[in-house]
Order: sequence, then structure tokens, then C-alpha cells
Amino acid sequence: MFAYTIRRFLTLIPMILIMTFLIFLGMDLTPGDAVSFMASPEAMANMSQAQLAQLRESLGLNDPFFMRYLTWLGGVLHGDFGYSLTSGVPIKDIVLSRIPATLELSVAALLISTFLGTILGLVSAVRKGRPVDHILTITGMIGVSIPEFFLGLVALLLFAINLNWFPIGGRLRPEYTVYWDHMKNLILPALVLGVTMTAGVMRYTRSSMLDTINKDYIKTARSKGLPEWRINLVHGFRVALTPVVVLIGFRLPILIGGSVVIEQIFQWPGVGNEFLGAVRSQNYPLVMMIALFSVFAVLIASFIIDLLTAALDPRVQLD
Amino acid sequence: MLNRQLILDKKMDRIRSMEESGTFKVHKGSRGMQKMLHNKLSIAGLVIFSVIMITSMFAPLFTSFDPLAIDLKAVLQSPSTTHWFGTDKLGRDVFSRVLYGGRISILVGFGSALGASFVGVLLGAWGGFRGGFIDKVFMRVSEIFMAFPQIILVLLLVSIVGQSMRNLIFIFMVTGWGSIYRMTRAKMLSIREEEYIQALRAFGIHPLIICYKHMLPNALGPIMVNITLSTAMFILQEAALSFLGLGVPLQIATWGNVLNAANDLTVLKSYWWIWLPVGVVISLFVLGINFIGDGLRDAADPSQQG
Repeated sequence: MFAYTIRRFLTLIPMILIMTFLIFLGMDLTPGDAVSFMASPEAMANMSQAQLAQLRESLGLNDPFFMRYLTWLGGVLHGDFGYSLTSGVPIKDIVLSRIPATLELSVAALLISTFLGTILGLVSAVRKGRPVDHILTITGMIGVSIPEFFLGLVALLLFAINLNWFPIGGRLRPEYTVYWDHMKNLILPALVLGVTMTAGVMRYTRSSMLDTINKDYIKTARSKGLPEWRINLVHGFRVALTPVVVLIGFRLPILIGGSVVIEQIFQWPGVGNEFLGAVRSQNYPLVMMIALFSVFAVLIASFIIDLLTAALDPRVQLD
Repeated sequence: MLNRQLILDKKMDRIRSMEESGTFKVHKGSRGMQKMLHNKLSIAGLVIFSVIMITSMFAPLFTSFDPLAIDLKAVLQSPSTTHWFGTDKLGRDVFSRVLYGGRISILVGFGSALGASFVGVLLGAWGGFRGGFIDKVFMRVSEIFMAFPQIILVLLLVSIVGQSMRNLIFIFMVTGWGSIYRMTRAKMLSIREEEYIQALRAFGIHPLIICYKHMLPNALGPIMVNITLSTAMFILQEAALSFLGLGVPLQIATWGNVLNAANDLTVLKSYWWIWLPVGVVISLFVLGINFIGDGLRDAADPSQQG
């Protein structure tokens, strides 16, 4: 297992190198003066042309492309992500300040979709071919067909504007004193994001559960005279959940991406919202660094998932 | 259980009596097609799909309004017999915008799906058939594309190449070919081991002909399903991007651009007819495609008897 972990980790490195290279290439090709996002704006404001040229030289901007890439990569590895073009704030600070909000929304949506999805999938599998199953399957199809932002808009109109149960948007308001105060703000976006992801989990749980129910040991349990609920829950569902756990891990990138639109609708101050703002204002360094950051998140998540699968399922061969 | 047995018995009796009296019809046409037509949901999907498709294609027959004509005398009117879905802030007829918008949205969806599949299938068939270095390179490249969360990559590319309809189709192709590549490749890998391929090789037939003429048609079933489902996905993505104002330029009417008006809180609150109908139309159209795709999946899967 240890050797596998190391080997799997080593395969990450070329991937990360390629990714950083592509991102750097992107930054190099997009318009904008490299000095403006490599030096802090306060320092630049008091500089003459000659000093700027000197700075350019000392930052290595006149070096060949590949050298510049290495310098830049070294900086990134030390946590120096450069400066935003529009606000002049270090990109690292922007991203770090936005992560908690996105994480909060994603985790809540993940919990909701996992909970709803596995339970509905279980019900649907146990009642296979009955009306409940058909209704759930069709509802699931409708769920994947509605654009998530449209669902968000309808939810906003119904629950926030007409019924006035929830605030219209935002996260932490000045009048909030305790952390839990903003739960009201979280519920609606998390529900919308969670519900749009439920259908996939449900479908997957259903087929995994159907696979499990047809196994021999379930027949044994049944012939032993165990009550039906016990067979389904304790013997079937627990085993059927293993692949579902893996699926949930694979949904992480979708979560990071999916929250872009939802964050926009509910004015949720997360990474996705910042990313959109950067794309709109053509703030290329910020766009590229957030993209790089999300790729890192995905790569690390898939690394952990692989390890988890190997740990959970003894049939996985470690080679 | 007993009830089901009875129903099956009755069915068998009916078939036998039909056979004896000579009225039993042997189904013509492909078995997959038959299965597809017996699936109620996919028929429903086909109907929804065709209705929206036809009304969009022949939009001038169904509405006399120009989707781009600004009429400041008829701003923000609620639905009436003249304006079925009302008018928007600039007095443009929403119904005609939905119809004409469908043309662009469907075009973007299908165009991207076809383009992505063309690239994915062409490369995937060869990669799966030959393997080796080329296959490894393509696999790596598709891995790189798939490591990005889809919408982040799409937005990143939008910010680099700029907004236009053609660019959008190009971006969707670039981001979408990877999954189709992998799918085709996996299918080709399993077909490669079959004996008729060995026979063809022994005859000395050119690898290109074996690959694209003899193997690819046998791999197409699941690929077709994938193409339908990616059409649905691209239509949803176009709508989301245009809603954010980063898809097709705003002056062109598309489903997403019509919905873009809902970014304004007063429109969202007071003028539901501007954004609600078009959202429902998108959902219905995508639902239709998903139903068709599901029917195709069942029809292409020999382990499911229907």
C-alpha cells in the first residue's frame, strides 16, 4: 500500500508540470504586461521608466520563454501567485479569502445530494419495476434536464422573493454576529446545487444496489429468514455503497465547476464568483491562477480517491 | 408475482392463437428500432423534440414578429393574443425570440456534439485499433482536458479566444472530444480481439479499411447514445454561458440570451413571462433528448430485452 501511494503520487508530478506549463503558456499568450502582475502596484507607482526596465530585467522577463517558466514555477511553488490586474491584491490572498465560502457551499451540496441520492436510489432499487421506481427514474431525468441556473432562479423567486423564507443572496451580512446566523443564506443555494446533483447519485446507487441484491449471499440471507428491511439495509445497502463513495469523490470537480453558476445567482462570494468576475474583466492572471488552482484540487482529489478505492476494495490490484 | 405469471400466460396464449390463425405479424426492421418504438418515454421524447425542433426551424411560419425588432411602444407587455409570451424590456416579442433562439441554441448543441464526436471517434477508433505511442499521447491529452472542471475550462477558453458563436462551438468541441475518444477507444479495444479481425488481417486488408470500415460500425451503438447525451449537455452549457453573458454575443437571440434578462431582479420578480417560458422550453427540449438517449441506450444494449 505504501509503495502504491508513492507510485501514484509520482504520476501526479508530470501531470502537474504539464498543467502549470499550459497555464503559463496561456498567460504568456494573453494580452497584458507581465510586470503588472509580478510586482505589487505600490512598488510600481513610484517607478520611472528606467527603473521599470531594470525591474523587468531583474524579474527575468527578458529571459527566454523556458527560463521564465521555471522562475514562475518556482514562485508558484513558494506560494507567490502574482498580483491581480484590476485590484492589485496578491492573487493568493484573493483565492484564500474566497475558499471558505466555496467549500461551505460545496460540502453542503455534497451532503444533500449524497443523502437524498443514496436513499432515493435504495428505494428505487428495492421497488424495481413498481410505480415508485418509475416515478423516481422519470423525476431523475427531469432533474438532469433542467438547467441548474433556471432551477436557481425559480427557487429564488418562490422561496426568497414571494414567500420571503430566505434572504435573496449574499453570505455574511453586517448584522450577523454568530457564524450560524448565515445558515439561512446557505440553505437555498446548497439545496439547488445539491438537488441538481442528486439524480446522478440516485441512478448510480440504484444500479449498484441492483447488482448487489442479485448476489448469492443475499439469497442466503433471505433463506435464513431475515426480515426484508435487514437484508436490504444491512446486507445489501452497505456493500452497494462502496462504488457510490467513489462516485461522490468523482463529483468534486463538478462541484467546483457547478458552483460557478449557482454562486453567481445567489451572489455567493466564492471562488466561482471571483472567477467569473475575472473572466468578465479580462483579468487574465487571476483567471489562469484560479483555473490552475481548481486543476490542483481535482488532481489531489482523484489521488485521494484512488487511494481510498484501493483501501476499501481488496480486489483492486495495486500495480 | 402470481399476478405477473397470469399476465405472461395470457400474453403467450394470445400470441399462440394469433400464430394459429395466421394473423401474427413478424416484425420487420431492426430489433433495436422496434425496442425503441415500444419505449413510451422515448416516443414522448421524440414528440417533444420534434415539436420544438420544427417550430424553431420553421419559425417564420409560427410568428410574424422579428426577434430583434425593438418596439418601444410595446415594452414589457404581459402575454396576450398578439404577443403569446409577452414582450421584453425593449418591446421585442418573447415568443418569436424563443423560436428563433432555438435555431441558434440547437445549432450550437448539435454542431458541437457532432464536431466533438467526429474528432473523438476518428482519433479514438485509430487509437483503440493501433494502440502504441499515438494512443498514449491522445490519452494523455484527453486526461489533461478532463482534469479541468468543465465549466472552468470553457470559461478559461472563452476569455482567451473571445465570444462568438463559432468560437463557442470550437470550445465545446475542444472540451468535449475527450470522453468520446475514451469511449470509442474502449469499444474498439474489445472488438480488436474478435476473430473476424484476425481473418481480415490475414487477408492482408489495409489497416485503415479494417479500422474504419469493418470495426467502427460495430462500435457505433453506444457512441450514438453518447452523441445524443452530449447534445443535451452542450445545449445546457450554452444556455448557462449565455445566461452569464459569456456565451453567444447578446445581440443574437438564443435561449440563454433570452434568459439573460432574468439577471435583473425586477425582471425576475415582476415580469415572469420573459424568462419562465424559455426556461421551460430548454428543460423540455433537453428532457426530450435525454428520453431519446435513454431509449437508444436500451435499444443498443442486447442484455436488455424489451
